[in-house]
Amino acid sequence: MNSRAHVVCGGLTFDEVPVELREKVAFRDAQLPDALREIKRMLGLREAVLVSTCNRVEYFGATTNPELAAHGWPEFLRHFHSVSDNFAALSFQMRDTACVEHLYAVASGLKSMVVGETEVFGQLKDAYDIAHSHQQTGKWLNRLFQSSFAAAKSVRTRTGITRGHVSVGSVSVELAEKIFGDLKKCRVMVIGAGDTGERTARSLQRHGVPTILVANRTFDRARELAAELGGEAVKWEDWEGHAIDADIMISSTSAPHYMLTREKLETLLHRRGRRPLFLIDLAVPRDFEPSINLLDDVYLYDIDDLQSIAHSHLRERQTEIARSLEILQPHVARYMAWAAQQRDAPETGGLTGDLVTA
Amino acid sequence: MHDHIWLFLATLGYLASAGWGLYALGSGRPLANWWTLSLILISFALHTVFLHQRGEAIGHCPITNLFETLAFFSWSLVLTYLVVGPAYRMSILGAFTAPVVFLINFFALATPVDAPSNLPHLGWQLELHATLALLGFGVLGVAALAGVAYLIQERQLKRHALTSWFYSLPNVGRLETVQENVLFWGFAIFSAGVVLGFFIPHSGPDDWVKIAWSGVVWSLYAVLVTVMALGWLSHKKTALLSVAGYVFILLTFWGINSLSEAHVFPHVS
Repeated sequence: MNSRAHVVCGGLTFDEVPVELREKVAFRDAQLPDALREIKRMLGLREAVLVSTCNRVEYFGATTNPELAAHGWPEFLRHFHSVSDNFAALSFQMRDTACVEHLYAVASGLKSMVVGETEVFGQLKDAYDIAHSHQQTGKWLNRLFQSSFAAAKSVRTRTGITRGHVSVGSVSVELAEKIFGDLKKCRVMVIGAGDTGERTARSLQRHGVPTILVANRTFDRARELAAELGGEAVKWEDWEGHAIDADIMISSTSAPHYMLTREKLETLLHRRGRRPLFLIDLAVPRDFEPSINLLDDVYLYDIDDLQSIAHSHLRERQTEIARSLEILQPHVARYMAWAAQQRDAPETGGLTGDLVTA
Repeated sequence: MHDHIWLFLATLGYLASAGWGLYALGSGRPLANWWTLSLILISFALHTVFLHQRGEAIGHCPITNLFETLAFFSWSLVLTYLVVGPAYRMSILGAFTAPVVFLINFFALATPVDAPSNLPHLGWQLELHATLALLGFGVLGVAALAGVAYLIQERQLKRHALTSWFYSLPNVGRLETVQENVLFWGFAIFSAGVVLGFFIPHSGPDDWVKIAWSGVVWSLYAVLVTVMALGWLSHKKTALLSVAGYVFILLTFWGINSLSEAHVFPHVS
């Protein structure tokens, strides 16, 4: 057995393993204390952190026997979750520099399904906090995780990796905030009870929109959606009257013709004053006449516009990956240099202070 | 004169601020940080030292020739930015103000317009009239710059073309508020300066060229502020007219002043 200490990691990620398999071996927070004790025993780890999100199930550890850890991981999953699948071929395994680079890249959102998303940062922090609070980490993983958080912050502030939103709902929120600033005084009207419209309304609601009106041809469905959103249902024949007070209108009906023509809107605008109006047309065929966008103080976006912005943000984020990896390199080098210095340090917690740097 | 050095140093500071502002807007880097604010404050202090020294030297408010008028005018632009910027949390306006201030100062320093004048006794009414009018122009200038920022952001939102400027510029709601409030205050200060002009004791014929020009400018802004207050104009048209009005001032002010005998002091021969 190699007596030198290694940091190791392995697991299942969204890009290699389908959700049907990942969901079988996901860990709930309440399971983590037991799972950490068990993984340390079965993989021969002296320190361990388990990360379980909707996109990845991974372990990070410190050990003197990386081969045992790599072989023990699939067995641990089968044993702990009482499943019969063979995860050996589907799992990745890394050690030392590769493992450090991997964690820093994950923390920075570079290996996320939506590149640059920041949720994974919080998930890693939570996973580390649980392991730390149950005394399952030591000097190797404490240093590794803390430096990964610093590295991720550096990437976030020095690159555009998190800039721009990448879903229709969040792009709509971003645009609304650039039009109105504070959304806490905005009134939203949802026309039609489609899924995308509902999701967009929810996104706006999460960002402070207090009032949501829902109009639908079927009043019961309008009432149902309004109840879910904590809003108010409006009768179909009355929606134009309520539109005068709306700041944001989201439409996703299946009407074969324009619901709102330029002529009709001009009349409405005359009655509502100079307040800006943000129109989100999620319907195909479209509900709002495109020439509406030529009117002053009116901002019209259809589904293609929103998706095109989301895609361009994603492309911009992907172009930032190389720059982000460059920023991570000095952080990786610092950790590995620190690890090399530990060779001369006395043993801590039974684990030799030696870490392989290659 | 030796006091040019202060204006020269201030102008270098404005150039650095302008350069950083344009770079930050293009690259998406934060516009406001402690050193950019310090730079503009130091430049403003140097600018103020210049005006103070010049005022002490000539015994008048330093607006007695084109050079001083340009320096005072650009100073009033920065002063307005320093008041409006923090009040509305609009550090972005610095990125628009600094290039304009740099260009005005550069023109003042690079052209031979600092000719000493034979100064008669001006009287406090005349000095206050000229000071308020120039301050009003400065405030109207910042309103026009806020209008430019609004028009850029509005255009990006309308055309669905989101560049790095989209993320650096504030939301259009805030820009229109700032632009319209500053426009109102600029008009009020300018109006006070114009009204005071009618109470200046003078001998000889009235300066009809300047009176007519001031009347046209005042009327343009009075109509703009009125229709804006009544809600008859869209935010875009308000911003466009604010910018157009200011361009008109910039293009005609110097020519009108040279035609107007009562607003030019005779050069020392």
